Amino acid sequence: MPLSGTRLATLAAALAALTFAVIVAALVLGSAGWDPEMIRALRAPRVAAAAGVGALLALSGLAMQSLLRNPLADPYVLGTSGGAAVGALAALMFGVTITLGAAAGALAAGALLLWLARRALATTDDASPRLILAGAMLAALFGAMASLLLALTPDQRLRGAIFWLVGDLSGADDGGVSLMGAAALAAWFAWRARALDRLLLGSVAAHLLGEPVTRLRFELLLGASLAAALAVASAGAIGFVGLVIPHALRLAGVQRTRDLALLSPLGGAALVVAADLLARTVALPIELPVGAVMALIGAPVFVWFLARGGR
Amino acid sequence: MSAHPVRAEAVATPLLAARALTLAAAGRDLVRDLDWQVEPGQRWCVIGRNAAGKSTLLRALAGVSEVGVAQRGEVQWAGRAQRDWPAIDAAALRAFMPQQVVDRFPITVARLLELSVVRPLHDARTVLAALDLAPLALRPVLELSGGERQRVALAQAVLQGTPLLLLDEPVAFQDPAHQALVARCLSTSLRAEQALVISAHDVNWIARAATHVLALFPDGRCEQGTTRQLVEASVLERVYGCRWRDVGGVWVAD
Repeated sequence: MPLSGTRLATLAAALAALTFAVIVAALVLGSAGWDPEMIRALRAPRVAAAAGVGALLALSGLAMQSLLRNPLADPYVLGTSGGAAVGALAALMFGVTITLGAAAGALAAGALLLWLARRALATTDDASPRLILAGAMLAALFGAMASLLLALTPDQRLRGAIFWLVGDLSGADDGGVSLMGAAALAAWFAWRARALDRLLLGSVAAHLLGEPVTRLRFELLLGASLAAALAVASAGAIGFVGLVIPHALRLAGVQRTRDLALLSPLGGAALVVAADLLARTVALPIELPVGAVMALIGAPVFVWFLARGGR
Repeated sequence: MSAHPVRAEAVATPLLAARALTLAAAGRDLVRDLDWQVEPGQRWCVIGRNAAGKSTLLRALAGVSEVGVAQRGEVQWAGRAQRDWPAIDAAALRAFMPQQVVDRFPITVARLLELSVVRPLHDARTVLAALDLAPLALRPVLELSGGERQRVALAQAVLQGTPLLLLDEPVAFQDPAHQALVARCLSTSLRAEQALVISAHDVNWIARAATHVLALFPDGRCEQGTTRQLVEASVLERVYGCRWRDVGGVWVAD
């Protein structure tokens, strides 16, 4: 059932309240308990980074779903995050800025995926299962390349394999860049919302309605890749956020790109902050990588979506 | 370009014209050297056997490129070559309903129709009612039956508000009652400045819905004329390769 304006506002308010509650919980809970100085110096930046990364990943997923016209698309599942990780590792090896390397890697992975999907995207009958398989193979390929690069660079400065392959927030920055990137991407989505809604009807349908399909696809590829790259540079490759959040919102009745673009970052932020809270408190005194927690949640959800026929 | 010319030009020049148009696929000419034009107010039906090239012709007329189809000659919209039309202006001139659509995302019929409007020419509620879609307005498109989804696609094309409508088999999945409904809707909701090109198989439905017929023959030749001229035993026999009888005003294939 679609949502009326009031129900949509209620959902947005509930989601905002949930996000706020999760953030407060993540700030006050933890091994050291209540300590204002530690909250300000350590937990606040980490929570901000988690929120920024979650918002970016949710928007990146939304962009990839629009780009490939497939509700199962996600930057982690389809190899974009893997490409970013490889790019970041290569940048470390050659002494280039990590974010730049991650962006280049993510763009290359996204372009490769788009090239693999070109036949399906040019016609009205897009071949979803094949596209997802191709993306999964890309992800495996980039995972292997990242492992090789890690093996070739026994550098003390490198963060470990877990960080690049699974995702970990323990060494993240303060989240400023991530949050700003997410805000910019959400604003772009809201501006392009009607054209993007038409693109979801299929490339032929969108073209017949006068939309600049090629340019929209290019902008989506750029947005999805850069968002994934920023997230990976900050927290490594965390998966499934971009899949779970837009899908849950669609299940709740949100159908417009404009509304999805405004609510997805909230949901993504809440999810990653909550997952990171779990990761650092559930097995005290050990800290788990947040990516592993997300995969434990996300992989079964993905399989459940697949079993329902990808809808 | 977008604001003024479509209607003004349409009076003087045909809405749609094919000039020496040849369409070839898989080493075979589907349509050869077609010279043909569609004037406002006309309702054309393209007939031909399976794989005769009806859908390929309609896609070419709509300006939708197709893998593996070679095109020579020219298609003109309102007197100007198709390729010279920017996408945004073309969207205000022609609507195209493909034979089948694949939906991927949950969106309601009402929202889908809202997205399909380019020129607000028709009232959405009237069109929904005319196509027996009013009860479906809030249903997600993913849950519709084949026949229902086809009528929604027809409503999308109508609501685009263009002078030229190209419809690929709009009644293929319709039950007899809804076939009659679609024929009625096409003849009543059309304005004088609009024109229609349809493909269909049911000769009796065509005799009722169309004013003109374009017949495609298996060798790529085409024949055109009024429905009265072409819906006729000898022509139908050459088009479909079987015998036809007129049984009390109803055409029956043997």
